[in-house]
Amino acid sequence: MIYEKPRFYPAGDRYIEVELGNEMSFDLNIAVHALAAAIRAADLPGIIELIPEMASMQISYDADRISFADVSREVERLYTVSSGSGDIELESRLINIPVLYFDPWSEACIAEYRSRVTDKTEDPELLCALNNLAGRSHLRRLHATPEYWVAALGFWPGLCSLMPLDPRARIVAPKYNPPRSWTPKGAIGIGGAITCIYPDRTPGGYQIFARTPVPIWDREQKLRAFRESLALFRPGDRVRFIPIEREEYDYIEAKVSDGTYEHSMVDYQKFSIANYRKWLSKVELGV
Amino acid sequence: MISRPFFEVVEPGLETSVQELPGRIGHWEQGFPPSGPADVWSFRLANLLVGNDRDAAALECQFLGPTLRFLQDGVIAVTGAEMTPRLDGEAVALWQTVSVRRGQVLTTGGGRTGARMYIAFAGGIDTPPVLGSRATFHMAGVGGVEGFAIKAGQVLPVGQVTAPVTSHQAIPEMRPEIETGKRVAVEVVAGPNDDWLGEEGVAGFLAADWTVLAQSNRTGMRLKGPTITFAPRAYDKLPEHGQDPANILDHGYPVGGINVAGQTPIVLLQDAPSTGGFINPFTVPSAALWKLGQIRPGQQIRFKAITLDEAHEMRRRQDRICTADQALRPI
Repeated sequence: MIYEKPRFYPAGDRYIEVELGNEMSFDLNIAVHALAAAIRAADLPGIIELIPEMASMQISYDADRISFADVSREVERLYTVSSGSGDIELESRLINIPVLYFDPWSEACIAEYRSRVTDKTEDPELLCALNNLAGRSHLRRLHATPEYWVAALGFWPGLCSLMPLDPRARIVAPKYNPPRSWTPKGAIGIGGAITCIYPDRTPGGYQIFARTPVPIWDREQKLRAFRESLALFRPGDRVRFIPIEREEYDYIEAKVSDGTYEHSMVDYQKFSIANYRKWLSKVELGV
Repeated sequence: MISRPFFEVVEPGLETSVQELPGRIGHWEQGFPPSGPADVWSFRLANLLVGNDRDAAALECQFLGPTLRFLQDGVIAVTGAEMTPRLDGEAVALWQTVSVRRGQVLTTGGGRTGARMYIAFAGGIDTPPVLGSRATFHMAGVGGVEGFAIKAGQVLPVGQVTAPVTSHQAIPEMRPEIETGKRVAVEVVAGPNDDWLGEEGVAGFLAADWTVLAQSNRTGMRLKGPTITFAPRAYDKLPEHGQDPANILDHGYPVGGINVAGQTPIVLLQDAPSTGGFINPFTVPSAALWKLGQIRPGQQIRFKAITLDEAHEMRRRQDRICTADQALRPI
């Protein structure tokens, strides 16, 4: 459910957890991002930074400049405005991520896990079976169809939680149990109803089935996309996966390593929540 | 500001890193934690003793300190855990201003009490800031010296000293009192998710002795203790929260949060992940975080609940103490 009013919980003397609801839904996540945008625009003295998440956000504040009670009151007021009837347009870049589906590196990682840890169904086949897909081509086509919404970032620099904006493209899967000790950098995985891109070689639990040659974070800031930040995505961005073949994968990888790769990014758009909802209701009628 | 090469790393120690305050602020939503020193109190006194801004970049040494060779005359101060620092073989007093000459070598050993020692240099370490801070987040290779803990052979610069540094000592009553006994009392404020434990679970958690495990580092301090019990709501929840009673929809992780990862509490420290799917029933307030920075594996923590107002008062008190007027006297 989405609560009528935000709930405020102290997290020590410097942070506040603001919960807007307790479900995983696009509507709730949009409410979180709209509230985050409103808090930023209000530029309240003493509010330091925000971590928007699925259904909540963490606010860092300086209690010597603004009290817990004042943060709560101001944020509640902004929530009333931001969740009102008018349309909200959020800054939202569209980022194209080239992807090699069923790549050899993910396959090797899955094979190692199956031989060393537990003989699970291979990840692409598991995704097909659980989502009534005819096979790998169907999985690739479906996964590459929608735009994805960057619902949250975190745990590791740049690690993103992506929700498909088209409900017909929803693919679900359980997480690995036990988790993998490593995942190829750039692997694409699904856990729950969330797609993620692994920013680096890290442990992981999502079912993996593709890989991008494009870095989504770079501590050396070599590419143009990382000039302002070490991480590519911001919450509220949109992502589209572009299927590529091995030849193009190698070409892009070479451009990345010589520092000339330019991320494919559209940043002249805003995301209108009212327009999206209108479209969604048409889609849902069709479904 | 003109910086100059000031010391060479002869031996790096176990994990010695450049830290700075307030840390890396403004990039948490992209997954970059604040980082910064684990024991802010000792860190600030070290900076004050060398005439720096109290938040300037300095070295944090964990368990086993480094060996440094000075390339210039200058001024340093060592605070925090006692790691038997010696300058050309002669014992160096902690908590006071120390002059060093070009060519002298500072050696340190293993810590006898506490876990982290700080070395501040007049002028402040002047490595390039990354995302606005010199603090090291070495898990991901961000900040510090090329992203990581210092390594043998590296030369670190310090900034220019603008005024002559006079010798001071940190007044003993104004230093953090590092607990050397078996049990350490650490304050906590209830929340954000104490309601997931319920009254009984909270009481049980606060009544227990929690042993600090060796698998602890700057991301978190792992604890071992009795079984944690949960309130009915931890079981009666939507499936997207996860299967474990300690699972919650992914949410932000506060520094100091006591993260209940299944049955293992992990106190989230300065390099902790920014978000995750486990509850944080309590949070260690900012003024008590330094205690965690000085606890050794094997010691036990007893948590003591305080109110949010008391946590604010603690912070203000520590903030006042960590000033040259309050904490130092000339020697």
